[in-house]
Amino acid sequence: MAEGSGFFDKVLQQDLGTVKSGLCVVCKGAHLLCGRSRCPLMIKFYAQQRTRPVIDLRDLAGSSPPAVFVGRYGYPKVDVGPLVPGEFGDTSIMDQPERWNGKSIDDIVDMRFRLVRGKQRIDAVNFRKSKLACDLQELALTEKPVAVEAYFRERPRGRLVLDDEVEPFGPSARLENMVKGNGRWERNLEKNYYDTDLRAADAVVAAYRNGTLISEIQKAFSVGTMGADKRRRFVPTRWSITAVDDIIGKDFLSHTKYYPTIDEFRIYHWEQLDNRWCILMLPTTWRYELIEAWYPETTWNPVGRDVEIMNDFELFGGRTDYAQIGGCYYAARMAVNELLEKEHRTAGAVVCREAHPGYVMPVGVWNVRENVRMALTQPPYKFDTVDGALGYIDSVMDLKRRTWIKHSGVLTDYFVQRRIEDYYGRHAAEIYDHERPGSVKH
Amino acid sequence: MFKAEIKSETLKGLVYIVSTLVDEVKFTISPEQMSLKAIDPAHVAMIEINVGAKAFVSYEATDSEIGLDLDKVKSVLKLAGPSDNIVMEHDEAQGRLIFRIGNITRRMSLVDTSSMNDPKVPQINLSASVQVGIDQLQKGIRAAESISDHIALEADPEGFELSCEGDTDMANLRVPVAELKGLKADTKVSSLYPLDYFSNIVKAIPAGTVVDVQLDNDYPVKLLFKLADGEADVCYFLAPRIESE
Repeated sequence: MAEGSGFFDKVLQQDLGTVKSGLCVVCKGAHLLCGRSRCPLMIKFYAQQRTRPVIDLRDLAGSSPPAVFVGRYGYPKVDVGPLVPGEFGDTSIMDQPERWNGKSIDDIVDMRFRLVRGKQRIDAVNFRKSKLACDLQELALTEKPVAVEAYFRERPRGRLVLDDEVEPFGPSARLENMVKGNGRWERNLEKNYYDTDLRAADAVVAAYRNGTLISEIQKAFSVGTMGADKRRRFVPTRWSITAVDDIIGKDFLSHTKYYPTIDEFRIYHWEQLDNRWCILMLPTTWRYELIEAWYPETTWNPVGRDVEIMNDFELFGGRTDYAQIGGCYYAARMAVNELLEKEHRTAGAVVCREAHPGYVMPVGVWNVRENVRMALTQPPYKFDTVDGALGYIDSVMDLKRRTWIKHSGVLTDYFVQRRIEDYYGRHAAEIYDHERPGSVKH
Repeated sequence: MFKAEIKSETLKGLVYIVSTLVDEVKFTISPEQMSLKAIDPAHVAMIEINVGAKAFVSYEATDSEIGLDLDKVKSVLKLAGPSDNIVMEHDEAQGRLIFRIGNITRRMSLVDTSSMNDPKVPQINLSASVQVGIDQLQKGIRAAESISDHIALEADPEGFELSCEGDTDMANLRVPVAELKGLKADTKVSSLYPLDYFSNIVKAIPAGTVVDVQLDNDYPVKLLFKLADGEADVCYFLAPRIESE
């Protein structure tokens, strides 16, 4: 515990009213819905961090994983810069959440804290004049860790920076100058960089299909290396994560929606970082929902007595507004579609997430993406009836089916809304006279 | 073989109604009529349309099938003014449908119909039947929107009622028997329906149409109406919501 934590607890005490209102689960520190200038919960997280050796140097050299960060405050004038650790070697794991499964929150925090952020303010749209912008583009496209030396204007300050969507990182300082080595570029991203007529969305999909990791695509996306030449721009890291998940998910959906449905009810179950995941798949046409249950004493529900539950869903037609849950919604949707595409099937999916008290601080959207992916690689439990599947949820989750159904748009629709084929009479269960290959069954 | 001339208004009415449910559709063409059956992807609503040869200005056809992308047809319709006629011709050799509007020719590639089967139409008997002007229904929908995601339709010997109840607000429209074009209801019947489907179809029906709303207790609703001066029959089914476990 930091020495000052008592003080911060007092600050939190004063803000209890707002924190108790349940707004925090919606806001997650990003929107300041309570009207304060700083999130009282974030202050508390920062206070709880162990004090660490402060970097006492004005210049820092090390192998960047490679990693870059683009801030969002003040857009389009944003702070951009590299993330550099003070060590050389293969640091690539530090910026590849795809490889973080099985690590504890402490492991992740220790690893990410070593990344120091250099920053310089540039114009996200007219970035071409800035030398730093060009260097960052090169850095983000490089495949392997690159030696970077950063000269700071002041001593790097601050502790671990936390965000609900972005992976944590360490102290930061204004950048005076940056020198970097060269490395080979990731081939798919390089191709996108030189194709100045390819739209950004198509570029993301092309790189993903050719096997580039999502975290790498997102990095390249955030530094304006994709899209039609004149429309390229820097995209705040936070936004670029959601954008890439959304683009890939939508691309999948344009196929997966029209595959035949799965044949049974399935449950995929997985636990990680004291988050409990149950993914219910229904043998129906595409519909999707993410339900998050925040237990008392978790990140966004620290003082409440009750579990705060929020959900967002879409039916076959998709959605037109931004999901209240935020980036996690799109990350989980992408992960579910990866499975559907692999099986060439469609399904309805309800992702149930219970965040238990061991989940003490936000670590980023990757947590949702990678854990839903992990859950979907487990062998599913298969059931003939929705009752059986819900029974399984009852047995592994704290919250019971009644609660999940009450908070679920998709399940409510499933139980309440009748279908045309329910009225064909007893002997005609099929919608079409002749079963055709690839037809959509209910 | 298929060659026909149709008023742009008539075609527009049909296309907008079908496109509330599906993006692609298969027309079955015979010497007497053009027909289609379509079910929406969630299987909550379906539609059956028969357009008689008399609905067209001229009509000449043998038995065939045409698969169309409705978004493309809508873009063609935008080229036509309200008083224009549209000539459609099936180019079997090239698998295209040719539209002619005045001096414009638009050739449209067709959608493969081999994988598009006609859904079956449920055979159901509904005890109540209400003939009501579409303008009344449209008014009711406007009142109900943003209150809840479902709507109740109710008929009794005294009239027809459309009501919507949300968590905090409610709205209803009651049409007494005197303002209806016809009413047959022995007892009170009512069912709940998803509002988005109902409002999409109601908004797509041209003003002035009289709709025959057939209802029962917790049962699908059937909307029957005619387009193209009574030469095209439309039958729309919507499955109910049943609010019990």
